[in-house]
Amino acid sequence: METRTLLARWAALGGVALSAACGGAADGPAGEQAALGEFRVPVEYYTLDNGLRVVLSPDHTAPTVTVAVYYNIGFRIEPRDRTGFAHLFEHMMFQGSRNLGKMEFIQLVQKNGGVMNGSTRFDFTNYFEIVPAHMLETMLWAEADRMKGLAVTQENLTNQQGVVKNEVKVNVLNQPYEGFPWLDMPQVANENWYNAHNFYGDLEDLDAATLEDVQAFFDQFYAPNNAVLAIVGDFEPDQAIEWIQQYFGDVPAVEGIEFPDITEPRQEKEKRSTKTYARATRPAIAIGYHMPERNTPEYWAMGLLDQILLQGDDSRMTELLVKAEGVTGDMQGGINSLGNMYNYDGPMLWMLWLFHDAETPADSILALIDEVIEDARTRPVDAETLARARVKARSALFGSIDAFFGFGRADLLASFAMFDDDPARINGIEEEFAAVTPELIQRTAQEYLRPTNRTILLVEPGADAQQAASAAGGAP
Amino acid sequence: MSADVRIRSGREIACLALVAFVGLALSPTVLLGQEAAAQEQAGAEKEQAEAEKELPPRGGRPRDFRIPAKETFRLDNGLEVTMVPYGAVPKVNVQLVVRTGDIDEAADEVWLASLAGDLMQEGTATRSSEQLARDVASMGGQLSINVGADRTFVSTEVLSDFGQDAVALIADVARNAALPEGELERLKADRLRQLSIQRSQAQPIALEEFRRRMYPEHPYGRVFPTDEMLQAYTLDQVRGFYERNFGAVRSHLYVSGQFDGAEMREAIRAAFSGWEPGTPAVENIPEPTVGRAIYLIDRPGAPQSTIYMGLPVPDPSDDEYVPQLVTNSLLGGSFSSRITRNIREDKGYTYSPRSQLSTRYRDGYWLQTADVTTAVTGAALEEIFSEIDRLQREPPPEEELRGIQNFLAGIFVLQNSSRSAIIGQLAFLDLHGLSDEYLIGYVNRIYSVTPEEVQRIALEYLRDEDMLLVVVGDQSQIADQLAGFGEVTEVAP
Repeated sequence: METRTLLARWAALGGVALSAACGGAADGPAGEQAALGEFRVPVEYYTLDNGLRVVLSPDHTAPTVTVAVYYNIGFRIEPRDRTGFAHLFEHMMFQGSRNLGKMEFIQLVQKNGGVMNGSTRFDFTNYFEIVPAHMLETMLWAEADRMKGLAVTQENLTNQQGVVKNEVKVNVLNQPYEGFPWLDMPQVANENWYNAHNFYGDLEDLDAATLEDVQAFFDQFYAPNNAVLAIVGDFEPDQAIEWIQQYFGDVPAVEGIEFPDITEPRQEKEKRSTKTYARATRPAIAIGYHMPERNTPEYWAMGLLDQILLQGDDSRMTELLVKAEGVTGDMQGGINSLGNMYNYDGPMLWMLWLFHDAETPADSILALIDEVIEDARTRPVDAETLARARVKARSALFGSIDAFFGFGRADLLASFAMFDDDPARINGIEEEFAAVTPELIQRTAQEYLRPTNRTILLVEPGADAQQAASAAGGAP
Repeated sequence: MSADVRIRSGREIACLALVAFVGLALSPTVLLGQEAAAQEQAGAEKEQAEAEKELPPRGGRPRDFRIPAKETFRLDNGLEVTMVPYGAVPKVNVQLVVRTGDIDEAADEVWLASLAGDLMQEGTATRSSEQLARDVASMGGQLSINVGADRTFVSTEVLSDFGQDAVALIADVARNAALPEGELERLKADRLRQLSIQRSQAQPIALEEFRRRMYPEHPYGRVFPTDEMLQAYTLDQVRGFYERNFGAVRSHLYVSGQFDGAEMREAIRAAFSGWEPGTPAVENIPEPTVGRAIYLIDRPGAPQSTIYMGLPVPDPSDDEYVPQLVTNSLLGGSFSSRITRNIREDKGYTYSPRSQLSTRYRDGYWLQTADVTTAVTGAALEEIFSEIDRLQREPPPEEELRGIQNFLAGIFVLQNSSRSAIIGQLAFLDLHGLSDEYLIGYVNRIYSVTPEEVQRIALEYLRDEDMLLVVVGDQSQIADQLAGFGEVTEVAP
C-alpha cells in the first residue's frame, strides 16, 4: 500500500520546482537545479589539438575543485609476462616527473590543503586531486608535468615493487578469502587472456618489472590523445580552459596507439570451479553472468534487473535467500565489482556472491538462486517492481554523481568522454531506464541470465582454518 | 587499485578516519590557503636553486569558506533536531543518532546492541519486514542501523521528493520496532557467520586483543562475543535492550541535503512528538590500562605481520586534542607523514601504514597500524619508534608543520562539504559536548600550534615506555624480531 502511495507522489511531484532556499548553491549556474525531476549536470566538452579531451562541470556549492586525469589503459591490457604491471605503473606516476621529484607531487597537494589518489581499473587508470578552489592552476600544471614524462630511478621502482607486493599481501594473500570473488571470478569466467589474468599480479611478475618496461608503457599509453581531463567544482570554465591550453597544449600526441582484442566469445556452457582457501572459515558462492554489450537496450535492462534481483533489502534475492530461507546474511554484487555500470568499456560480468554455513549445501542455495532467476526469465516484471527499480537506479546515479566531494561526478564524466565521446550522456541516463519495458527485461533475462552464460565459483574452507576457528570459538 | 570488495560487517570494528571529525558552526567565514601559497613559493625557490626546474604556479587568492548554516530546535520530549540545507543534488540524508551502543552492554552481552539493531530492521507495528524494505527502497534509500561504541545510527538517504516520508519511516523504526521473535534465530546465525569470518582476519584479531588489553573491564574492551554467548541471547534480552536504550531524550535527529524547511520541520514534529522521552544515557567512562606490553598472536605462514600499537591520550573535550591532531597528522596520519614516508615510500615495508586518534565519549587513544612483510617486522617497529623518538628530541621544522596545518585546514572544508560529512561533524560535536565555538575557532587553533608544542605533545603523550603493542603474525618468524622491544606475551589464537 505504502509503496503505491509513494510512487504516485513521485510522479505527481516530477515537475514541481524546489524553492531556491533548498539549493545550497545560490551562486550556482542558473537552472542547475530548476526542478526536482530535472536535475542536470552542467557539462562543457572540448578536445585540444593534441587529442586531449576535456570535460568541465562547475558546481559552486563548496570552494573546492576536483581535477581528474583518466588514461585509457586499464589492468586488462598489460604485457603477458608482467601481470599487475598497469597497477605497478600507476604507483610510478607518484615517483617523480620532470619538475616534481619523489614525494613532491604528494606534498604539493597536501601542503595546499588537498587530498589525492590514483586507481587502476578494468579500462582506465585515474589520478585525481581534490583541493581548495584557488589551487586549480597548480594542479593542472602538476598533472601536465607528469603527462609529459616521468623521471624515475631504479631505486624508486624497487621501492614501489615492495609497496605493491605489500598491497597484494594485505588485500589478498593474508585475507581468509584471498581474491574471492573480485580477482578470482574474472579468471575463471573469461576465456580471453586479457580478461582472465591476475590483475593484481603474481609476485614474481611484479619483481621482474624493469625501468625499460616503465618507459615503454608510458610511451605507449600515457599520451594526451589517450586521456581525458575532467574538472568539477568551484571554478570558471573560461579561465580553466585557458590554463589547460597553456599547460597541456604542447604535450605531443602519440601516433598509432594499439589495443589488443579483448572480446569474449559467447558462453555456451555453464562453468563451475572450486577453490579451497586455508584460512576461510565458511563456504562461499559466487556466480558471474556475462553482461550485454554496453549501451544496448539489453544493457539498460540489465541495469534494472540488477536493481530488481540483487540491490537492497527489497531485492528478490534478499527476500528469498536472506529473509525467507536464511541461508546467508547478505547478498552482495552488481555490475562491475570495481566500479559501477557506467565506468568500464568491454566485456563485463554481473556478479553476485554470498557466504553461508557448511550445514547448507551449495546446491540447495544454487536452487534458490535459480528460482529467482527463472522467475525473471519466465514472467514479466510487475509495474510496481519496475517503478521501484527505476527510483533505485535514479537514486544510485545521484549517489554516484555526488560521491566523494565531486570525484564521483568527474569519474562519470571522464568515463562517458573516454568510452562514448559524449560526457553529456550523464543527463540522458534516466531516459534510457525509462525506455526499458517489462518485455525487454524478460527477453534480456532469457538470453543473459541463462545457466549456460554463467560461471559458478565455490569456496571451501581449508583444514587449517577449521581448526583455528574452533579454537577461537572456544576462547573466553 | 584498492580492494573495494571486502567482507561486510554491520559492526564498527575499526576507526579509519585520518583525522577526527570536527563539527559545524553558524556560518563563520574561514579564510584558507594564504599560508599555502607562501609555503609553495618558498619550496619552489629552494628547488630552483638545485636544478633547472620549472616552478609550480602559486595559485590564486584563497576563497572564503562558509560553514553551511543549520537550524536547530528541540521537541518537548527532549529530542534534539538539526537541519542543514545543502548541495546541488536532490537527495536528503536523515540520521537519528541515539546515545546507545556497545557501552550499554554487560560483560555477557557482547553484540547484543548489534543484534537489537538487526532485529529493528525486521518491521514495525504497522509494516512487515518486507514492506519496510520496499517502502524505503521506493524512496531511493536503504535503511541502515549501525551500532558503534557510544552511538547507534538509524539512517537513510533518499531522493528529496521523499524526505518527509523518510523521516516518518525512521521514526517508525525507532519508536515502533516489532522485534519479531521468528527472525531472531536467523539473525543470530548471520552474526555467528560474520563473527567466524572476522576472527579469521588479521586486523580484527589485532583490534580485539588491543582493546581487550587496554580496557580489560569495560565494554570498549569487548570486541567479539563467544559463539556460546551469541547463541544464548533471547528475545527478552533484545527487547529489554531496546526498551531501556531507545528514547527521545538521548537522541538527536539530523537532516541534510535538499528539502523544504517548513515542511520538513512539520514532518519531524508529526513523526517524533509522541515518542517517549525514555531515560538519559548512562555515563561509563573507562580507565584504560597504561604500560608497555607486547602481545603476539600466532598466524602460521602469514606473509605479513599486523601491527597495532598505541596508548591512551586525551579525548576531544580536552584542549590538548587539536594539537594532538596536528602532531598525529605530521607523525603518521597522512600520506606525507614521517612514518608513512619512512616505512612505505623509503623502505617499502608496507602498503597502508596509518596513525590515528581513535575517540569515544571521554576516551581516546593514539594508534599506529601497519601490515608489514614478515621478515621486516622488527625493522618496521624500529623505524616507527625512531620517528616518535625524533619528534620527541627535536621540534619539527616550521615548513613541515605549516604543510600539515594547511592540509588539516583543507580537510576541514571537506569535512563540511557533503551531506553525510556535515552530519558526522555535528554528531561528533554533540557526543563530545563541544560548542559551535570549537568549529569557529578550529582553523585558527590548528594554525596556532607551534613546533615546540608538537614536540611537547610527542613527549608527554606518545611515551615509548607506555606503548601497548599487539602483533598478529607468523610466530616462528617474528618472535625473535620482537624480543628487543620488551617482554613478549604469546597469546593463543
